[in-house]
Amino acid sequence: MDISLFSSKGTPFNFNQQISDDPIIDMHSANNSHPSPATHSSDSAELSAAGKWAANLLRECARAISDKDSGKIHHLLWMLNELASPYGDCDQKLASYFLQALFCKATDTGRRCYKTLISVAEKSHSFDAARKLILKFQEVSPWTTFGHVASNGAILEALEGESKLHIIDISNTLCTQWPTLLEALATRNDETPRLKLTIIVTASVVRLVMKEIGQRMEKFARLMGVPFEINVISEPTNLAELTKEELGIQEDEAVAVNCIGALRRVEVEDRTAVIRMFQSLRPKVVTVVEEEADFSSPREDFVKCFEECLRFYTLYFEMLEESFIPTSNERLMLERDCSRSIVRVLACDTCSDDGDGNITGGECERRERGIQWSNKLKQAFFPVRFSDDVIDDVKALLKRYQAGWSLVPPQGQVDQELGIYLAWKDEPVVWASAWKP
Amino acid sequence: MPAEVGNSSPTASGEASVSSSGNQPPPPPPTAKKKRNLPGMPDPDAEVIALSPKTLLATNRFVCEICNKGFQRDQNLQLHRRGHNLPWKLRQRSGKEVKKRVYVCPELTCVHHDPSRALGDLTGIKKHFCRKHGEKKWKCEKCSKKYAVQSDWKAHSKICGTREYKCDCGTLFSRRDSFITHRAFCDALAEESAKAETQPQPQPQPQPYPPDQDPRLTMPSPATEKPDLEPDPKVKISASPPPPPPAAVQPSATVLSSILADPPAAAELPENHPPQVLEEQPVRTNLIGSCSSSSTSSSSNGHTGNSLIAGLFAPSTSSASLHSQQAPAFTDLIRAMAQPDGPSDLGPSPSLEPISLCLSTNHGGSSSLFGGPERRQYAPPPPPPSQPAMSATALLQKAAQMGATATNASLLRGLGIVPSQPSSGAAENIHWASTSMDSENASVASGLGLGLPSDGSSGLKELMMGTPSVFGPSKTTLDFLGLGMAVGGSPNGSLSALITSIGGGLDVAATAAPFGGGDFSGKEMGRRS
Repeated sequence: MDISLFSSKGTPFNFNQQISDDPIIDMHSANNSHPSPATHSSDSAELSAAGKWAANLLRECARAISDKDSGKIHHLLWMLNELASPYGDCDQKLASYFLQALFCKATDTGRRCYKTLISVAEKSHSFDAARKLILKFQEVSPWTTFGHVASNGAILEALEGESKLHIIDISNTLCTQWPTLLEALATRNDETPRLKLTIIVTASVVRLVMKEIGQRMEKFARLMGVPFEINVISEPTNLAELTKEELGIQEDEAVAVNCIGALRRVEVEDRTAVIRMFQSLRPKVVTVVEEEADFSSPREDFVKCFEECLRFYTLYFEMLEESFIPTSNERLMLERDCSRSIVRVLACDTCSDDGDGNITGGECERRERGIQWSNKLKQAFFPVRFSDDVIDDVKALLKRYQAGWSLVPPQGQVDQELGIYLAWKDEPVVWASAWKP
Repeated sequence: MPAEVGNSSPTASGEASVSSSGNQPPPPPPTAKKKRNLPGMPDPDAEVIALSPKTLLATNRFVCEICNKGFQRDQNLQLHRRGHNLPWKLRQRSGKEVKKRVYVCPELTCVHHDPSRALGDLTGIKKHFCRKHGEKKWKCEKCSKKYAVQSDWKAHSKICGTREYKCDCGTLFSRRDSFITHRAFCDALAEESAKAETQPQPQPQPQPYPPDQDPRLTMPSPATEKPDLEPDPKVKISASPPPPPPAAVQPSATVLSSILADPPAAAELPENHPPQVLEEQPVRTNLIGSCSSSSTSSSSNGHTGNSLIAGLFAPSTSSASLHSQQAPAFTDLIRAMAQPDGPSDLGPSPSLEPISLCLSTNHGGSSSLFGGPERRQYAPPPPPPSQPAMSATALLQKAAQMGATATNASLLRGLGIVPSQPSSGAAENIHWASTSMDSENASVASGLGLGLPSDGSSGLKELMMGTPSVFGPSKTTLDFLGLGMAVGGSPNGSLSALITSIGGGLDVAATAAPFGGGDFSGKEMGRRS
């Protein structure tokens, strides 16, 4: 490659020339993706007609990495870098964040990059920012509220008539699930039960804001007249080894385990053990909500994992784009969270590559599909079908968001019990399920 | 049918009006509220009537023999019969009152089962029984909320989706569940429950409200309410210099949010106590927290934080005293920023710094999307090259700012530069880094090493052209691309780091020559050295 590419004043034009001369590059996408993103608005129609240039280039690049074709890797990374921007359209954003991960993968620096991203996130994390972010997200998208409504419905039905409720909450939604449950308990016909919430925090950024959130939950419960207690267990060393005693479970309590986006943070090999731990708590109900994607493919099969990752985050980014206004700061923050996950999934495989040791905390991010989770959970629990009332609640919830969201039964129709799916434009994206011993 | 006389009772209007009232009922005055919390304080002389659940739940028992239309009351049937030209008879109101009747709830565990808490009219007891002990069979199509009393459901259906729930903080909601969630997290609640703590909260009573009008959720907070000034660690930290007098804190609804985000307190620090700011670690940390939280928040208190930032970073404002502090601690600062996880992050080589892809082009078109408020906030005119370096504190804050607002790539680009030879290269690098942080214009790259106003469109070009001129002469190993690759001693090799690193064996390393050229960078070099 000619170095004039980098120094010439007419960079955009020459750049295009350059890649056009290059036999390796996918000519179609390269020519149609205009050289400078700054001129994007003028020919966006042409661009969209050309298809998803980012996906094409990224895919090429992932394949090149898998093939260890350094020349091609180099080329594609440079090209992607020219086109990518975290502030651009969906394609540019995807290109930007996946480029970061692919670069880390190619240079074997994923872990250090990930650690840096985490510490940056921790530094900029505050209760105010976190609160604003999650409430805004829930206002414009049912991505998290879908699981909340389904889980709350299942929990309320399973614990109906009990006077002492104890919910073990392992989730990453900052307790935004619980106000509506508290309100439902307060307006229930029978006597208002006691509620004990034990929050298990598995993300370091969440730990920073839990004190504030706990106080607010207490105040809200007092306002609603629900006898309430909240305990926080910060970052247990091993989720699978938690005991009834550590969780403060009393014999007369009716226990529910609420797991939202939590299992995917557990290392793949430890997941069965964590489910066994749930079983040992003798819960009346276990609710599990996970994003519908399979990043658990064998780590050698980089391309397959990459494809799935790209598929999932393309959906997610498109969803964000249609849900938020273009200048939304919250959207940018959510995308930045994704950038961490993408690096984690795609570039943090090789162990102790740079002497940095392991990444602490449960941040595995290797999602599995609902059916895969079901197979694991079935070893310890029986599936519970969501009642019609809960289904109605979920449908009513979705009606209140913009078009594009729907509720779909499990694919295949064989096991109606195995949860429900939130679909975005007919693609299942979030899976919710309930289980009993 | 003695059960049908109830409608004349004077208390009948109470519940009826509650269940059918329209949007946003005015908050009940305290006296009315007290009465509502304890419904049923009947005349002790009244006749107590206990009806069976079946009777209470029965509807439309008075049926027209012509058209089979059912009515809940005989009176209504009689009026209906008039339309069929059938004989009809309305009960006359007699001049002297019959003995007053009150009704108890058949549910044994209910407080209204006790005759002393009996309800004064038949409609009231029917609705009470349905609401509290009956099946909720009326379900709103829109929000799936369920009601036991049809009229409640009808009233709700009319307003569902149209009604706006308003939080004390001023935010409006059209959806009940998002309102509830917001309520729990809103600062206004913290204030309100402070009141609840001082006055013991009455035990929850079976409440006669339709759930939509539950005053617990819509209770207004009087502006004179004392805020809950419970000890907050953040406040304590920021108060290590003498805390601002209480009068400086805004009254009422904003107090708690002020304390949480703490911009007023923080804003006072730099002006009143600059020495403490520079010396005391806790204060510094707190300032960062304040800055970053306000930068990500567009709430009403945000502007306070913004002005603080502007004050800190604009050289001409009153906080200029900060700038008198030179940057001796800068190297340490940079280390601290670049090694957020402590020494373990040092890695095998000090020249390997946090990784990112720092090549991304920040072009004008997209940066303007996000550049609006941030630009106003963070982009004071770039200081001339002779500008003294910013204080370490200010830079630290700036770093926090960037963490909150810039892309991670830009941030890392800002952070990932550490002189490997502080003794020789430190001065220039300090200068370089500080100017670059100053001129963040969503395209941080354009400001790197140049200290020139950035037009926001040629970031990459300037980035590439400008680098060697600044870094070439100083023998520092600057990971300009943030690639984490050892660039070795080659002064101009930083750009090619990506190329050389990937695949290892690539033949593109000899790329230094073109970078040093360019009139632009030459000028820069002259100005700087």
